[in-house]
Amino acid sequence: MRKILLSIPIILLSLIPLAVRGQQYTGISGLIHVPSAEMRHEGDACFGIHYLNKNMLPDVGFLYNNEKYNTYDYYLSITPYKWIELSYICTKRMDVVDGEPVYKRKDRNFSMKIRPLQEGKYWPAVAIGCNDVGSSVASIITSNNQNVQLYFQNYFLATTKHFNIGGNELGVTLAYRYYTRDYNAKWNGIVGGVTFRPSFFPQARAIAEWTGNEFQVGVDALLFRHLFIQASLKDFKYPNVGLCFQMNLLGHRYKY
Amino acid sequence: MLNRFRRFAAVPMLTLLLGAMLVCPPNRAAAQQKNMSFDIFSGLVFGFRDISYTRQYDLYISLTPGFKWHFGDHWQVAGKMYVDVLDQFNDPYYSQYYNRRGTIFHFGMLDLSKEFKLGELYCKASAGFFSESRYGVDLKLFLPVAKWFAFEAQGGCTGLFSTAGGWGLSPMQRFAGTIGGDIYLSRTNTQLRGVIGSYVYRDWGAEVEAIRHFRHSSVSLYANWNNKEAFDGGFRVVVMLPPYHRKQRMVNFRPASNFYLPYTIMAHEWTNRMYNTDPEENMRDGWFSRDLLDWGSHTMEPDFIITPKE
Repeated sequence: MRKILLSIPIILLSLIPLAVRGQQYTGISGLIHVPSAEMRHEGDACFGIHYLNKNMLPDVGFLYNNEKYNTYDYYLSITPYKWIELSYICTKRMDVVDGEPVYKRKDRNFSMKIRPLQEGKYWPAVAIGCNDVGSSVASIITSNNQNVQLYFQNYFLATTKHFNIGGNELGVTLAYRYYTRDYNAKWNGIVGGVTFRPSFFPQARAIAEWTGNEFQVGVDALLFRHLFIQASLKDFKYPNVGLCFQMNLLGHRYKY
Repeated sequence: MLNRFRRFAAVPMLTLLLGAMLVCPPNRAAAQQKNMSFDIFSGLVFGFRDISYTRQYDLYISLTPGFKWHFGDHWQVAGKMYVDVLDQFNDPYYSQYYNRRGTIFHFGMLDLSKEFKLGELYCKASAGFFSESRYGVDLKLFLPVAKWFAFEAQGGCTGLFSTAGGWGLSPMQRFAGTIGGDIYLSRTNTQLRGVIGSYVYRDWGAEVEAIRHFRHSSVSLYANWNNKEAFDGGFRVVVMLPPYHRKQRMVNFRPASNFYLPYTIMAHEWTNRMYNTDPEENMRDGWFSRDLLDWGSHTMEPDFIITPKE
């Protein structure tokens, strides 16, 4: 009973329609640019590539002729246990070779999400995490901050609760995120979003989120048990698309 | 550096190796009783690097045909070579150490090994040409204290062999060895490993690693320190390759048992390195045969179901 009483404020808080961000482009489960407390299944491993519109990128580090450019990233991620996800991400950066801009350089980083509290009947799942954690580790171990960038580094605390509505699944996520770099400060603060998974096609879900600076909508789906796709529109007009191959290393077969 | 090598010293080394085999001749009848087999296999090396300012990336793809001749009582002769398919690395230092001479064929390893048990101590002794272009002798020890804890040690005295300018061997004077412990959590098939040691390229340091074993694969995160390059870390992936149901014949043709993918954050290629004495050595299987050592990942369901061919 005490747990129920304690969880009521959290549930009510999570029902407030605030901003959302998805994290699929980092290989970590989430919405689109907003982190969530959802986790993949234990043993899931993913390899994917994501087209990133320039509006998804920081305002520093991805400039050519003082203008941001579109790029892509690729990642490897794994869920070794049901309470932790790890990901390694490479984001391609432009450089000039023989006077021509090419995607020659890359930004490497690691992401991690830990879920200390699993979702229950009356309380939401709670997760904490960090993107671009690898760079900070590298800066510590090398004592050389000149070549270490933290373009994507942020820390977050997220809660997610799912509701069954006539066989459909409604997910509500509320998170607090802090970017360590000032040029990403526009995405700081409370973010969140909602997901809707229809009963007639539970492999797919629709997403709407508030990133702290703009709205973003999208859809994703797991096809043929292994092919995960996600498409979204940032600010309702800037497209981002991702494709990922995923499999369960423990041999389990999940529909979604 | 090559002129310091003792050229043609490979001849007595090979003689020693063949002599050891003759001391233990593989009697056919006895061998059948002891599951003698000759495996011919091939794997693949896939190298990818992104360090050049003039190229998006460089690729190195090589086939690794090899063989294993088991002739009973855990005696084994194993060998491996490299057949380059694509080499965009073109690294002379790397090439020299890995015995490339401008041809697509490169010698990998050839050695004789014996696994045995002394009381509760598991031992594996090897002699011959190992990976990392080392030749010499090596001893591996493994002492399970409990189902969840074991000590491990490896030590060897080796020299460098190179075919970069004809066969040549440096004096067999370099000692490298590690000692450490393993914790195995059977409920989650998780292995925690920590070792300290003196490594092949004259550095010394320590390494800790957390390995999660899955159904046919293992993934690890590791961090290490050494006196030359300080800290490094990364991840390693081992995937056991199908088919998982196999027929056991006297002579078997198969793919390599596993595919190995290492990643290092700081790209310290020449530190915290030990040679391998088995062409298919990997962190999942460990050093010892499954039928000899029942500890750690060997307590999981086997990757390969092998049935004898009648």
